[in-house]
Amino acid sequence: MDPAAFLSTVSWVAAGELSPLLVESIWSMLGEDWQFVLRNADYLLGGVVITIVLTITSILLGILLGFPAGAIEVYGSGYSKAAVRNLGILFRGTPILVIMLYMFFVMPIEYLLGPLNTLIGGIDLLLGPTPFTAPEEIGGAFFAATLALGLRSAAYQSQIFRGALSSIDDGQMEAARSIGMSRLVALRYVIVPQALRRSVPGFQNEFTIVLKDTSIAFAIGLGELLKRSDDLFIQQTTAILEIMLFASLIYFVLTFSTNRTLDFVDNRFAIPGESS
Amino acid sequence: MSEAETTASPTGRFRASSVGTSHAISIFAGIVFWGWLTTRWLNDWVLARLGIGPGAGENFVPREPFDAAAGSAIEAAERFSIGGLPFEWLNSLLETAGVAVLGWLGALLDTAGVAVGIAPALAGAAWYTILLTVISIALGFSIAVPLAVIRVYGGPLKWPALAYTELIRGTPLIAQLFVLYYGLPLAVWLQDTTLIGYGTIPEQAFWIAIIGFTINGSAYQAEYIRGALESVDEGQLTAARALGLSQIDGIRYVVLPQTLRYAIPAWTNELVYLLKYSSLAGFITVPELYNVASDIANSTFEFTAIFGLLAVVYLGLVLTATNIMSRVESYVAIPGIGAVEGRQQGDS
Amino acid sequence: MTDSQIDRSSRTDRGTDAEPSPLLRIEDLRKSYGDEEVLRGVDLEIERGDVEVLVGPSGSGKSTLLRCVNRLTEVDGGHIYLGDVDVCAPDTDPNEIRQQIGMVFQDINLFAHLTARENVMLGLRRVKGMDKEPALERAEEELDRVGLGDQVDSYPAQLSGGQKQRVGIARALAMDPELMLFDEPTSALDPELSNGVLDVMSKLVADGMTMLVVTHEMRFARGGATGITFLDKGEVVERGPPEQLFENPEKERTAEFFQSISHE
Repeated sequence: MDPAAFLSTVSWVAAGELSPLLVESIWSMLGEDWQFVLRNADYLLGGVVITIVLTITSILLGILLGFPAGAIEVYGSGYSKAAVRNLGILFRGTPILVIMLYMFFVMPIEYLLGPLNTLIGGIDLLLGPTPFTAPEEIGGAFFAATLALGLRSAAYQSQIFRGALSSIDDGQMEAARSIGMSRLVALRYVIVPQALRRSVPGFQNEFTIVLKDTSIAFAIGLGELLKRSDDLFIQQTTAILEIMLFASLIYFVLTFSTNRTLDFVDNRFAIPGESS
Repeated sequence: MSEAETTASPTGRFRASSVGTSHAISIFAGIVFWGWLTTRWLNDWVLARLGIGPGAGENFVPREPFDAAAGSAIEAAERFSIGGLPFEWLNSLLETAGVAVLGWLGALLDTAGVAVGIAPALAGAAWYTILLTVISIALGFSIAVPLAVIRVYGGPLKWPALAYTELIRGTPLIAQLFVLYYGLPLAVWLQDTTLIGYGTIPEQAFWIAIIGFTINGSAYQAEYIRGALESVDEGQLTAARALGLSQIDGIRYVVLPQTLRYAIPAWTNELVYLLKYSSLAGFITVPELYNVASDIANSTFEFTAIFGLLAVVYLGLVLTATNIMSRVESYVAIPGIGAVEGRQQGDS
Repeated sequence: MTDSQIDRSSRTDRGTDAEPSPLLRIEDLRKSYGDEEVLRGVDLEIERGDVEVLVGPSGSGKSTLLRCVNRLTEVDGGHIYLGDVDVCAPDTDPNEIRQQIGMVFQDINLFAHLTARENVMLGLRRVKGMDKEPALERAEEELDRVGLGDQVDSYPAQLSGGQKQRVGIARALAMDPELMLFDEPTSALDPELSNGVLDVMSKLVADGMTMLVVTHEMRFARGGATGITFLDKGEVVERGPPEQLFENPEKERTAEFFQSISHE
């Protein structure tokens, strides 16, 4: 049973059990438009699942590419450093909408997508006897959206990590080298652990931004929350305000809970005694 | 204090040597970019009405030569062959190289043709983008400063202010635009006003976009002006009040001047952010850069060239903005006053 | 810390020492930053077991000199020999050299994300390749030696300045260095907190550690040094036993300098 339907079923069952009469009266108080929205809630929640998955895949791609890029910008030299800087400027200076459209309409992503889907199929085969399943295949829109959001996020995350690395006092590296560590060993055990902790606030910000920008994927037809809201709007145009408010509420809940979770992570891994 | 000795930073040296050429290139690019934009605007709004020049919306440079050149380059590529060299592999190597070069040349000319063709439309759309950004950020700023002051000094009023900023920052900009445009009867109200849409004043969609961006921008700007307010030492306000200044005057003459300098980097980020996200206004029918480019692309299907050029124009605007702001920052800088992070960290 | 002499009676008498060659030999050391010549031909020799104190006005090149010895800064001219090894030779591995030279910083520079114990263990595990258990034991031993056995689990931000510096000393000592470099170890500390650090340093002197110390703490210099070098504008002005420089300096500049400090 897919999560969206499950969630809405549970909520309705609970509501029904608790107080049928109360539910009846509230239901009749809501206008026709709100009723429309709530009836289609499971369709929207399906979109939420896509939104969340898209956010996570994009952020992961961003970390994978962004953190090394940040390190190169601080410690690299010559061509690699220049390349990273210029790519960064390109991805930070172009609207995400344009990047997404470019990835979907222009980039020959089929070349990557084909092998990727075969890989997924393989994983699915392996997982066959278990109760888990991999997604059947990754759609072009989802892939393009992940690439777009991921690469742009990498460009920004490289800046976050770069800032964190630069903010570490020179004396830390000096002390590490004074006991005989090579620069690489010092980076691994002294500099990077501290830089990661200092990156958390910026990362928190970035996560929220990616989460909200998944909504732009509606322009390439991906069935995330905003696109599905749009679909409902087409069905019943009078309900547009209610639909949008409902969707906005969902986004708000998502960003709020993400921020509080990352606050928790920040506090948990913070260095005792240091204020952020 | 011991002697301050550190080995000279290698990045400092690198930057110094590369500044010369890249600086020259960026100045040249800037002149070309803004030269084109301003000539186009001048032509469309002033000269065209006076009957001078090719007329509004018409190309300065015709597109046909480019298309023709592209066509012949591609033809030449197809017919390209080299014979008569002693080695067969040398023949085919040179042939492939020749075909590749001609093909690339053809693509380049083709893109140039597209660029020349859509340039007038893009320039007009760029005007909307710039106008949208500048007006929204100015209005947003005027709301954000009082909002930030309330968040820090406002007592019980803090909570509504907090709710406002959290709600606006927690929901996507595009959803906010949709609510304003489709959800509320704003569009109808505005349309009924005689001034909107009259002559050179833009349509109601534009003004709704302004409202949307203003509200969105104000929430973010309030947040980091607040951060900057809080980095100003408490002692500053205390000293001001000890002199006899009221709370408001103390904030106005002592705290805010320092705050605003702290907030410049963050504010630059906001400017860049709005420049880029102005593209979303295209979804509520504002004829800004993305909207115009997308319309053209959907009818001519030359996606690669058009979106590529679109990115170039946006980059030009963004880099100009960051350039101007860093000059502003140097101009108003006071030694010892640092920086606050904005919506997204980074240099652009 | 008292003004009285530090007990050096337990130290090995140099006369019966089988090794006649100096532990550290600095010959004609030169270093410039851009146009500014910071070290102009410095000569210095330290025998094993010596405690040499470097004094001089700021800008005289003392810290630079120290950083050249463990090659944190590259020299422009001259030689530095640790035993038989040419420290500055291109084929000398600086990381190897630094394992034999311990350094204590004015800014302390404890690894902020690690506890005191972990700070000391890091070099043992990641440079010397020790296993976790022995490294842990050794770290706790060293921290005990500097009087912080009960703070092993504290993070730097939770320690006082003096405690942090003592961890810094423990961290350097754990590597079993032949030579310890101290770069104004107490200059950044309040006077009360300095005492703990100076006590630890005095203990090291008594244990026979070879030390090169840059400091303004004249009481330590008077009590613990075997020799004092006065450096001014990158040159060695005068060098000799503490009694000579304090009571009976040969050069006028030396006398002027010590007079100016005594007014602080």
